[in-house]
Amino acid sequence: MSTNLSGKYAIVGVGQSPLGKVPDLGPIGLFSVAAKNAIEDAGLKKEDVDGLITRGPDDVYCHHQKVGEALGLNVTFSTSTANGGASQTMAVAMACMAIESGVCNTVVVGYGRDTWSRTHRDAQAKQAVASRPRTYSEFGSEFGQFGAPVNYAISARRHMERFGTTKAQLGAIAVAFRNHARKNPNAFMQKPLTLEEYLSARLIVDPLCLYDCSVFIDGAGAVVVTSAERARDLKQPPAYVRGFGFGNRLSGWYEDDNMINTGAKEAGEIAYKMAGIGPKDVDTAQIYDCFTHMVLLQLEDYGFCAKGEGGPFVGSGALEFDGVLPTNTSGGQLSEGHIEGMLQVLEGARQVRHEYGADRQVKDCNIALVTGHGGNTVCQTALILGREAG
Amino acid sequence: MSDYKKPLPESSVESKPFWEACKRHELVVPRCAKCTHHWFPASATCPKCWSTEWAWAKVSGQGKVYSFGVYHRAYDKSFQEELPYALVIVELAEGPRLTTNVVGCKPAALSCDMPVEVVFEDVTEARTLYKFKPVV
Repeated sequence: MSTNLSGKYAIVGVGQSPLGKVPDLGPIGLFSVAAKNAIEDAGLKKEDVDGLITRGPDDVYCHHQKVGEALGLNVTFSTSTANGGASQTMAVAMACMAIESGVCNTVVVGYGRDTWSRTHRDAQAKQAVASRPRTYSEFGSEFGQFGAPVNYAISARRHMERFGTTKAQLGAIAVAFRNHARKNPNAFMQKPLTLEEYLSARLIVDPLCLYDCSVFIDGAGAVVVTSAERARDLKQPPAYVRGFGFGNRLSGWYEDDNMINTGAKEAGEIAYKMAGIGPKDVDTAQIYDCFTHMVLLQLEDYGFCAKGEGGPFVGSGALEFDGVLPTNTSGGQLSEGHIEGMLQVLEGARQVRHEYGADRQVKDCNIALVTGHGGNTVCQTALILGREAG
Repeated sequence: MSDYKKPLPESSVESKPFWEACKRHELVVPRCAKCTHHWFPASATCPKCWSTEWAWAKVSGQGKVYSFGVYHRAYDKSFQEELPYALVIVELAEGPRLTTNVVGCKPAALSCDMPVEVVFEDVTEARTLYKFKPVV
């Protein structure tokens, strides 16, 4: 037996901290500012919050407890999540499930990290990075495997050889999101980016170059989730949670064809079914873009084009504001800044709230798909937000 | 005293027999006694049928390149002089995929599905690494 939760819960407030280089705030401070802004945006008070789901730097034990301490919060339901970049969209879904169960009513969900500052804040931070011993393991580092880009480079190479996907097509993703970032004054990357500049950029792990990689910044984002019933009395138009879904191909990125056909397929099918819609009903997509290639894979898996046709689809200009699927309209992690997908949740809600002027507002935006991806590359979460409850 | 500067594998209780086999220039992977599935790295249960009855089995050493990424930036100083170098996923004829390097082949000459076979490099007195070379 199952209960369809579609339209029963909503994001009623969104908030963010200053983004970019914010050396005077740590990860908990950034989170606190975002949470305060989200609660104020909703027209709610601290006393209304009885749930808190957080994520931050992985080296903070029981992160939610540190955040709650800073905010002076006592709540019923609280935890930190550990599903990588899929955590933030998942946390919104978890909030709905927790409220449905009756254990709480109003949940703050967020992510914050001082990613730029922890390596650049001051001389001490720089020294700590320089002298940090690398952790070595087996079946990787002895062959030169370091850093995140290689997993995506290997997937991109396979996709290119199998389907003929080109560098210029990946570049179309980077250029589209940079164009969007230039309309967003809070986005970190404001410099124009042309396809020519993209194609001549230095390679990181071929086929991925500098502009295929997301931008590490300081920042936090938070949202407030509560019942649709309560939402109707609050300050902002609700962004109804119409659907959510998950797909975790835990057997591994290098198993089967998981690096080509990802768990986003399952996540999307579950979310679309719950929402009673299909990909053609999506007005804007906010796709987890740690790397350009990951956007391309997810667009295929979420059904916006067939498997293998992601290259021509993004190459056609589909992701631009005037394209068929305006995507990552705040600039995404590639250009607004990498806050582990949390800013994409905020942007999805803002788009269905119709809160922007004509230059940034997706026209007649009723449905936003927001996705999360991460956790050793195989975890996927989809969230569908709607202007209407159903 | 070895002058080998690159990281050496930190073996675990599960992988010790694997590295000992490399030392003997043998490539071994877990093989399920019940369903004959081969997998890698080792785990207590066969990931296919969950049988706990399995043994290390010597494999052919034949495989093909599944995919690869070419480093143009050294994340670790010890690989600076290797740039550009490829990190390669090789699919063994028996099925499992291994993270490795392909020697005797410039990154630009690599392609998905190209046939390769195992070679062993005795990098220190204690350690031997498994790598692959193109099948001519």
